[in-house]
Amino acid sequence: MARGSSAGYDRHITIFSPEGRLYQVEYAFKAVKSVNQTALGFRGDDSVVIITQKKVPDKLIDPSSVTNMYKITPLIGCVLVGMTADGKSLIQRARHEAAQFKYKYGYDIPVNFLAKRMADTAQVYTQHAYMRPLGVEMTLIGMDEELGPQLYKCDPAGTYIGYKACTSGVKDQEATNFLEKKYKSNPKLSTEETIQLAISSFQSILAVDFKASDLEVGIVSAASPKFELLSQQEIDKYLTQIAERD
Amino acid sequence: MGDDLYSFSLTTFSPSGKLVQIEYALARVNAGSTSLAVKAKNGVVLATEKKLPPLMDEASISKVSMITENIGMVYSGMGPDSRVLVRKGRKKAQAYFRTYKEHISTAALVKELASIMQEFTQSGGVRPFGVSLLIAGFDDSGPHLYQVDPSGSYWAWKASAIGKNMVNAKTFLEKRYNDDLELEDAIHTAILTLKEGFEGEMNENNIELAIVDDKRKVRVLTPAQVKDYIGEIQ
Repeated sequence: MARGSSAGYDRHITIFSPEGRLYQVEYAFKAVKSVNQTALGFRGDDSVVIITQKKVPDKLIDPSSVTNMYKITPLIGCVLVGMTADGKSLIQRARHEAAQFKYKYGYDIPVNFLAKRMADTAQVYTQHAYMRPLGVEMTLIGMDEELGPQLYKCDPAGTYIGYKACTSGVKDQEATNFLEKKYKSNPKLSTEETIQLAISSFQSILAVDFKASDLEVGIVSAASPKFELLSQQEIDKYLTQIAERD
Repeated sequence: MGDDLYSFSLTTFSPSGKLVQIEYALARVNAGSTSLAVKAKNGVVLATEKKLPPLMDEASISKVSMITENIGMVYSGMGPDSRVLVRKGRKKAQAYFRTYKEHISTAALVKELASIMQEFTQSGGVRPFGVSLLIAGFDDSGPHLYQVDPSGSYWAWKASAIGKNMVNAKTFLEKRYNDDLELEDAIHTAILTLKEGFEGEMNENNIELAIVDDKRKVRVLTPAQVKDYIGEIQ
């Protein structure tokens, strides 16, 4: 079989390598891992919680301007892992899609549909040479009217899948192993239990004792479907509960 | 469109006359999980492996898609690419109906999809699709099964397999196929063939089955129905 005369461009734009791989997409995944951040998502019986570190790189930076969690609509939130600027672009796109949907159809965009739209856009970048894939993974959460709590992750390859629990970022493999064990028994998780599980798992996986100011926790629940970030006092309360329990 | 910035094709001939990008795309398809289809006298069955790691919610995504009421499709290879083809296929089917006020036949739809896939091997600034499709339909001329490859070539099949285990699966199907199969037999044959190359235990949660029968409706079987069929072959 003749060797491909691709002249090495398969590493620069999204064309196939001889083994059928897309190197640019694989490198985009590496970019996601390069920022030394981990994010987790937890689906409970009537709530979904997302959690990630809050790393303020410099003491002079205003902490309230540093965040990786964003509201797409009042009812849908997300956490981003990867290149910040790409992430901001993705958020703008997501907000636009959601608003367009509401304008066109008259009702709020379902989480799974938004995830599909974001993933379809990401797929375009993997097939057309004129745009590179974005180096961001997006974890979306929301309460669906019919399906209940929804947790979806979209990645640079254009894949989107619904999860019971999902992981993103540099420690995603360890986190997946940890969460598989926790979810193996299909546990029943109330809103409180889901939040507790999220925070305690995050601490275990990253092997760090976090302060409330180092964490961002986002939640939607049946009782309160609006996407909200927990305040520092609330996070503190859970951290204390966890510390006392141990 | 940004593609105009690349006014040259990325898929070009090698000195030996091959279009290597298409071959590489096929390599990608052959690394994907197995899908197969069997045509019976009174319908067609589509079957595929759907193996997802434990934390993923299997109900959230589907490898089998409906293009029209009576034409369904399954893929092997890159999921995101298949979604593009599902979408374009659905639009082509609707456009056909708007022009002719008749539902598109399976053969005509396959031609359209194949044409799209060929375009992406020749147009500027794009790469070929990393999927092969198995398209099943039941129309005025009876049950049909087609396979479309990343090159845009398509063939009509009595039974076919694509993806990782296609060679063994096709050998298995050749032995077991006959022109008098009823749909129920075809379903059993499909499950048995899938089981042959399946790593680990096959159950209703890690395969997907769909049928198009003489009622001309595509039906994706529920996990409960799949479980019954798996039970029948044991």
